[in-house]
Formats: sequence, structure tokens, C-alpha cells
Amino acid sequence: MSKRLSRRTLLRGAAGLGIGLPLLEAMMPRSASGATPTAPRRIMFVFQANGDQTKRRFIDTGETSFTFDEFLAPLEPYRKDLLLLNRLDRRYGKFQPNERADGHQQGGASLAPWKSGEGAFPIGGADKTIGYVTGPSADHEIGDRVLKDNLGVSTRHLVFRVNTKENNIWNVSSHAGPVGQQSPVNPETDPYNAYTSLFAGDAKDDPAALAALAKRIAMKQSALDNAIGEIGSLRAKLGAADQQRLDQHTQALRDIERTLNATTGGAACAPMPFATPKLNVFDDEKHVELGQLFFKVSAWAFACDHTRSINFNWSGNTSNRVYKNLGMTEGHHDISHVSDEEAFGKIRVIHKHLWEQSVTLHELLKATPDGPGGTLWDNTLVVHWNELGQGDVHSENDALVVLAGGAGGHFKMGRLLDFQNKATFADMLVSCFHYMGFEDVMSFGDPLLNSGGPLANLKA
Amino acid sequence: MSNAEYRNTITDLLGDSPATASLVAAATRSFPSETESLGFRNNADYLGVSTLVAQGYVDAAEQFLEPIATNQSFLSCTPTAGAEIDCARTFIESFGKRVFRRPLSADESAQYAAIFQKSLTAYDFGSAVRATAFAFLQSPKFLYRVEFGAAPSASSVRPTPYEMANRLSYLFWQSMPDQSLFDAAENNQLSTSAQIEAQARRMLQSPKASRLLEYFDEWLGTDTLPTTFTRDATLYPNLDANLVPMFQQETRAFVTSVLARPEGNLSDLFTAPYTFANADLAKHYGLLGPTGSDFVRVDAPGRAGVLTQGMMLARDKATRTSIVRRGLKIRLDMLCQLVPAPPPDVNLTLETTNTSNLTQRQRLEQHRTVKSCAACHDLMDPVGVVFEGFDAVGRPRTTDEQGGAVDTSSVIERTTDANGPASSPAQLGALLAQSEQVRSCYVTKSFRFFYGRDTDPADACSLAQLSKSFKGKAYSLSELLIALTQTDAFLYLPVRSSESP
Repeated sequence: MSKRLSRRTLLRGAAGLGIGLPLLEAMMPRSASGATPTAPRRIMFVFQANGDQTKRRFIDTGETSFTFDEFLAPLEPYRKDLLLLNRLDRRYGKFQPNERADGHQQGGASLAPWKSGEGAFPIGGADKTIGYVTGPSADHEIGDRVLKDNLGVSTRHLVFRVNTKENNIWNVSSHAGPVGQQSPVNPETDPYNAYTSLFAGDAKDDPAALAALAKRIAMKQSALDNAIGEIGSLRAKLGAADQQRLDQHTQALRDIERTLNATTGGAACAPMPFATPKLNVFDDEKHVELGQLFFKVSAWAFACDHTRSINFNWSGNTSNRVYKNLGMTEGHHDISHVSDEEAFGKIRVIHKHLWEQSVTLHELLKATPDGPGGTLWDNTLVVHWNELGQGDVHSENDALVVLAGGAGGHFKMGRLLDFQNKATFADMLVSCFHYMGFEDVMSFGDPLLNSGGPLANLKA
Repeated sequence: MSNAEYRNTITDLLGDSPATASLVAAATRSFPSETESLGFRNNADYLGVSTLVAQGYVDAAEQFLEPIATNQSFLSCTPTAGAEIDCARTFIESFGKRVFRRPLSADESAQYAAIFQKSLTAYDFGSAVRATAFAFLQSPKFLYRVEFGAAPSASSVRPTPYEMANRLSYLFWQSMPDQSLFDAAENNQLSTSAQIEAQARRMLQSPKASRLLEYFDEWLGTDTLPTTFTRDATLYPNLDANLVPMFQQETRAFVTSVLARPEGNLSDLFTAPYTFANADLAKHYGLLGPTGSDFVRVDAPGRAGVLTQGMMLARDKATRTSIVRRGLKIRLDMLCQLVPAPPPDVNLTLETTNTSNLTQRQRLEQHRTVKSCAACHDLMDPVGVVFEGFDAVGRPRTTDEQGGAVDTSSVIERTTDANGPASSPAQLGALLAQSEQVRSCYVTKSFRFFYGRDTDPADACSLAQLSKSFKGKAYSLSELLIALTQTDAFLYLPVRSSESP
């Protein structure tokens, strides 16, 4: 096994939050054989809320001659690495009224295209309460498959959300499943925490610090083993619903175990700590800075191969953030309910602002070395999405999904494809599974929401 | 455990003090907010331990090891070389009993002694004590309230005495039992209804009972108000920066006063023509009386208990009141009604921003001429308009944001027994206060929160018992809490085995 180098050592002296990760063979993920360095494929979902104004997405809709209208203009510099999937349908109308929540709620769970359950909220169903969706999301399932295939990867998926403290049917986009069960994955809202969980346990340089770290890890390992054993004994005495919950707990403890091992097993990968002072993570006015910090953690997590699946959210769905930085006085969701030109003007300003922020992720990926002579951008697929199509009418069809990145050459990029609502959002997720190498997946989520296979005409 | 339960339990475990409180607050600050269901965040069905939660428990517990290892009540002996395990055993017995909230079995003691021994071999006594304490704090027997019940009698299973001690302590204190409950469990004095009621009355008088205000915070939604207001500074100039914390304090002080009086009842919640304020909040409301920073009772003619408190009137928009949201809150949380989702792909425009001279009320009336909109807005809007005499930051007003006169006259419909004309929150409050639908709703909400689960069909008898007791005690809020300890659902285990994190 080749010795791995501490990234902290290498980055010492780098300024502030800079992420100029040097490329060293010893730090690159290896294929299972350990012979040739390979760059694994990664996927990152990036969410923004409340739908847009569909007729103002593009001026020219030609497959390769497309031109962006106002709010998508920040994407122009990346056009050769974009695959624009316009007018995908979500088909929630195929569900019975009690099986689907409202447009924001159900649309916000688009990554988990399953029927909604019962029992969590009094708004949404027809004559019963509505629940969370009853199956896993793509970020979770892809991460799960990666874990099963790659012993070196420690973290199934990372789920990040900027601002929004509460976790409810209006703001959770990741779900653990299994199929048939409501199991929302509450996101990390604190990038400092995310950083610490992933990197703070990494190897220090001096022996005393290393010994102290080893002692802490031994303590944790012993406690986790003990807890897993106790859960096993309890489990046998409990009913099925409780057993499922205990299984989730066991899986969580195993997740932590893997992280413990990843940070000691020589895979030293310690980027620079964040600059202080710490921001208030629930302050809407800090959303740009918080997003940037999450992007940095994401890039590091990919570069260190801690995970290959990330679900990032600029907000919860139905976000009512007031964009004071844009001169707004009303909340985003409130504005999105209004159909006049003044309101749409504000929506376009908000979306343009969020796209300007989202493309900084593109820049970060392009700046982070990965694979032989390449960067993370070459080996990552960024999936930009929204819970609605047109915001004011809460349309569940007309979804725009923007695929971005080199994506390992899997897709034929530089194109705009109009699906005319004849293919589905779930079909798009199937394409994501195929990109990640899981080509056995021909349907994801409820069959009613799938056409049976990936989207046509995407691949290179 | 919910986050509040975890914080309270650790606080009581370490010994309640300002230092402990700040340590626990800091160590648990980044716990993710719990998954919400039916307005609460403590429903066991939705409190699974995800990776993020489990990581939080690991990180937090490291912060508690020092105070545990230096606490004389857990560790009073001095270890002797070669026989450290003897001293460790006393620690395991005393600390373990607090953490599991019941005595350890012999097997459990041996299991934790082995953890101690392993760490002792590698390190030293102090490290081994800490490693043992750490393992206790990750145990599912600490993090969940697991109940297996006493040996069943002919037809029913009762909780063991320690399980009953836990049921009581988590109901009233959102925390672990105190010494008195441990003693009562030890001496099998938690078996009759009278013994349980006596404990309940004692616990309700304890300062720790203030923790049950969490119920009102979650029911009324005061805990999820944004920390700062995003009101348009032109329309709402010079707002006090502490408005939201003051609104939260107002409601807590008010509810505390209603609970403190045995006769304080549901009607007081919805009709009290007074509130609680400090000097700053009174100034904001335009009320006379309070001069200091303490929240004191102040007469507030025209106000109606929680209905007109700032936290209720503040769920509005940046530039105006929201008739819809105010009405929705009453329908969902006071009347326990369902509101269906809007049909897909309809135009949801309630108003145009500046091209119309209509008031919000008039725009909504126009909106309701569309049949698909009326189905739900007929529920919300007529309730919401009675609040139009209060602006979006809770102050009385006679003109709206555009300068037009407000019209609050309305007729409440589509309730079981709270229908009728109303043109003010006080008149709405009077309708709610005498309504069986509202009383039943309050009982259901209390059941969900204080038992930490939703009702199921098997609870019909318990709900009926609660409603009967509630009526018998003239709808006293504190007596309903006592009654919650006297139901079948509380005194017995369901036939299936149950477990609640």
C-alpha cells in the first residue's frame, strides 16, 4: 500500500480558503487493484426553489444553436459542457389525490419519485393527512451502490442545505427509504460541522497528536461496537416498525465507523480549516457565503474520495428567503405566487443570482485536480434542478434540468433537448444511475413516473 | 429522544447548573432539527437515528466526559492499583442506573466492566472511566425509551415501576426521572392510579415543569418564528430588533400564568383580554403599564389570549398581513381540520402587487369566485379576515397597508360547532372557547405531544377518558396534564411491544 501524504502539510501557507489542491499520485483514488490511478465518477445534485418562468429560459431553442435568456445567462461560459433537458414531466397526476402532496412538497421530493405516505401533515392530501415520500432518493441510492462497490469510500452521500432550520415536508429533498417507508434524511445545515465530520479527525503531524487521536478513535470504536451489539439484542424483541428504525440506527453507526477508519487508515486528506469567525448558518443574508463553504467541503470530499454523491440545496423547497442583497423586500415564495410582469421580473433576478452562485461550483471543480492531468470537473456530473416548472402555476411538468460537467465523457454535451413533457424527471434519474455505472437500473421510483429506461439521445 | 429531551436528560444527568446548561447547549447546537409531523417534532415514528443524528450524539458525548468523570456522585472511590475494576464497578452501577434510568442487569454490568477493562489495559483508569461513560451515552438503552412492561396479568401489560417513572418524567419534564421517582420505582410506589396522580401533582409544581412549555411552543409555532423579522422597513419603520424573542416570551409568560392557576382553562387561552409584556413590548403594542424588562400582566382590551399575541399575528408577509395564513393556523391547529392541496396547474395569484385598488380582503373575495380556489379558501379566508384589525407586527390598526379602512366583519362556517358571525379576534375566540371541536382538538394535540406519538384507533377509549376529565375539570389546562397520567394509554402498554426514541 502506498503511503499517503497529509494534505494539511502540503497546503500549509495557502491563503485563506483557497483550494489549490496539488496533484500528487499518492493522494489520488486508486482502482481496486491499486495499480493505475483512476478518476471515479461523481454526482452532485444542486437545488434551487420555487420554479421559474418557462418562456424566459431560452431565446433560441436549437439543439446546438440555443441561446440563454436573462436568468440562465450565467451558464453561457459553460455551454460546451452542458446538457440542457427542457420540459420533463413529473407525472404526479398519475397518483391518486391521497398519494401525492402539493406541487412544492411532492416536487421537492423529485429525487425520490415515490408516492407520498400518510400521517405527517394536515395540508396536502385530499381527505387524509399527507406524509413524506415512501422511498429513497437517487442521491441516497447511488451513494449506497457506490459504498457496496468501493470499500475505500467512507460516506454514502452528503446532504447539505443552506439556511432553513426546520425539517418538514417543505424542505427535505433526500430520503433514505427503503421502499414503503417514510424516512426523510435531514440535511446538514452547518458547513463547519460538515468539515469537522469529514476532515477534523485526519492525521496530525506530531506523534502526540496522533496518539491522542488514536485513543479517541479506539474509544469511539468500542462504543459503536457496543451499541451495535445492544441494538442487535433489542431488535429481536421488537415489532417490525421498531426493527426498521433500529436498522436505520445500525446503518448510521456503521457509517460513522467507516468515517473513523477512513480518517486513520492512511488516507490522510486534511484541507485547510475554514476561516473564522463562524457565520450564523440560519441567517438568510449569509446564503452566498454558506453556499460557498458547502461547495468547498463538497470539492474536498470528492477530491479525497470520501463520497461520490452529494445533494446540495440552496434552500428548502417553498423557500421564502428575502433576497435583501437584491433589493427585495418580499419572500421568494410569496413573489413566486404572483403572475404579473413585475413579480416575474423579480423571479428572474433571483434565479439569475442563484445561477451566478451555482456556477462558482463549476469553477471550483475546474480548479481542483483529479485524475491524471485532469480536474474534478472532468469526472463530475452536476445536476441542477428545481421542485417546479413554472412557479406561479406550480406546474409539475415543464421541468428544466441542467446537466453540467465533463461527466467522464458519458454524455454528449453542448446541447439543448426539448422533451415536450413526453419523458420524465425519473427517467432523467435513471440516466444518472447509468452515468455512475449502474446500467442495470431501468426504472427508479414508482413505475407510474417512469417511461422504462434512461432518457434517449443523451449519451456520447 | 427529541433534541429537547436529550438536552434536558443530559442536563439532569450532569446536575442542573448554569455551567451545565451552557455546556449542553453548546455541545448540541448543531443537532439537526427533528423531522416534523402533525405540528410536532417529537413523534417517535419520525425520530429515527440517521447518520447525522448519530454523529451528533458521538460529538456531543465527548464534551460530557470530563464533568462525568469528575462527578463525585458517580465516582466516589479511589482506585487501587491492580484492583481498579472494583472502583469502576461502583461507577458502572451508579452512573449506569442514571443513564439507563433503571438498575442494570448483571449481564449489563459485566458488559460495561469489559469495556472499562479493555480501555484500562491500553491506557489508564481515568481514560477507562471516560471510555465507559462514552459507551453508555451511545447506548440505545440511553437514546431510546424501551418498554417491555411487567409480566402480563390476565389481559393487560403494565409498565414496570421504572418504565412508569420514565413515562411521568418525560411527560412533565421532558427528561429523566429525579431521585424521588427513582425511589418510588425502587419501592414499587408507582402502581396505583392514586400514587401516579400524586407524583404528577408534585412534578407539575417543580420548576422543571417549565420544560413542558415546549408543547405550547410547538403547537402554536412560536419556536419556528424566524429569529429576525424581514418586514419592509419603509412600511414598518423602527421596529424593535428583539421583537421575535419578545413575542416568544410573551406567549410563554401568558401560558405559564394560565397553567399556574388550577382554574386556568382553554377559554382563557382564546379570550383573555390581557397579555404579558415588558416595557419594550408594551410600547410596541401601545399598551400602558409595564416599565421594566420583566414580563408582567397587562390589560389589553380588544385582544384575545393567544389569538392576538405577537407570535400569532407575525406569521405574515414582508409587506402586509396574511389573511390566508392567519386563517390556516386556526383551521389546522385550533380546529384540527385538513386543508387539501391546491389542484395542479391552477393560477394561484391571490393579488397583483400594485395595479389594483382592491383591499386584500376584496382580492381574496374575487379569488374565491373561482370554484377550485373557493374549496379551500372558504375555509381560511373568513377566519383570517377577523384579524385584519391587527397589522403584520401585532399592533392594532384601523387602516390597511394601502390606507383603506379595514373591514373585519365575517361569518365563520364549516366548523362543527364554532360557526357564527365574528368581526374580531375576541368574537372568534368566544366561538372557539365554547366549541367541542376545539376542545377535542386540544385534547388530541396534547395526546400527540405528551405521549410522543400519533393517536391510533386503539386510543379511542383514552381520548374519550381525556375529554371526559377535561370537561369535568372545567377545561383546566393543568388538570388535563394530570388526566394524561390516568388514561389506559398511559397506564398500560399496547399489546404490541413499543419503543420510543
